[in-house]
Amino acid sequence: MATSSKQYKNVGEDLWKSRTEKINAELFTLTYGALVVQLIQDYEDYAEVNKQLEKMGYNIGTRLIEDFLAKSGIGRCADFREVGEVVSKIGFKTFLNITPSITHGIAPTQPSSKHDGAAATQASGSTFTLTLDENPLAEFVELPEEALQGGLWFSNVLCGVLRGALEMVQMQVQVDFISDVLRGDESTEIRVKLVKYLEEEVPVGDD
Amino acid sequence: MAPNLRLNAVAFISPQNHPILIRTFAKQDEHSIKYHYIAHTSLDVIEERVNAGGKAMDCYLGLLYAMEDVAVYGYITPLKVKIVIALALSDSVVKDVEVVMIFKALHMAYYSAISNPFLKLDASMDGVQDHSPYLLVGSSKWKTFRERVDEISRVLSLTSNAVSNP
Repeated sequence: MATSSKQYKNVGEDLWKSRTEKINAELFTLTYGALVVQLIQDYEDYAEVNKQLEKMGYNIGTRLIEDFLAKSGIGRCADFREVGEVVSKIGFKTFLNITPSITHGIAPTQPSSKHDGAAATQASGSTFTLTLDENPLAEFVELPEEALQGGLWFSNVLCGVLRGALEMVQMQVQVDFISDVLRGDESTEIRVKLVKYLEEEVPVGDD
Repeated sequence: MAPNLRLNAVAFISPQNHPILIRTFAKQDEHSIKYHYIAHTSLDVIEERVNAGGKAMDCYLGLLYAMEDVAVYGYITPLKVKIVIALALSDSVVKDVEVVMIFKALHMAYYSAISNPFLKLDASMDGVQDHSPYLLVGSSKWKTFRERVDEISRVLSLTSNAVSNP
């Protein structure tokens, strides 16, 4: 079954409408805002806050992916490009009701020599960039001077969520913010870069 | 749209009667300080109305008073933040419903500004009755708020100009 971009959109739309429980958007936004502000007060270092947000996101992502796969019934993605499509059109839609636009990066052709099998032909180093036109986490937010200078990425939790979720499906990725409208940039962009595919790990302690 | 709805000034006043934002738009008035005075006098009138109103309080307080060349309208939010606007007096009838719309837009602008999670960050943590955010009236954090209020005034003048031009 060839799944096209439009089909992904429909799946995402359908999941959002029928199979997602919803809460008040302002409550969500205010909660996240309070969280970030509290972290800033506790750590007082913006780089550290970014790290903590990412860690929190990672923990969320590792759990969220189960929910996502169960609800959506999406099978294995054929390549990293498809991963990007699914993330932007179904993932973000289901959880945040936004559909970021996606730009696929050019993958360098470097077949990995360590692994064998189909995974090796997917070039690591592939990237895709998500451009968010709206960000429900950052409604009403205005960053103060110190946060701007300190390099705070307000919605950094999203990077962690993506990293955690993709790691649970055997992809090690590096996710970073490239730009953010809160910082005065033109758009909000997240870049996801594939580092490598992970082999199924035997749990530690098994013999 | 009623023609000639010229918004001369807007004032936001905190529950403790501290000024939050006073913004004037009329260019012909050299003494925009007069709007500070207007906001001040409005406070007395508002207090009267509120006390007289009793339990059933509507947010919109209506025309408070008129003086010189402006008519002053008042609005009080459920948390006792007062919004006062001064409209230039004109011969045409000013519909209540227009004024209420202006107040609602201003109220929403204020709410958006207040929802900024960073607002309290710099406020002094000296345990003063939790109203420290209001004290930073001139600070840069209110910049977007000021812009929003300016935008409301601009839209207002645009629509009224559109109607009054033959």
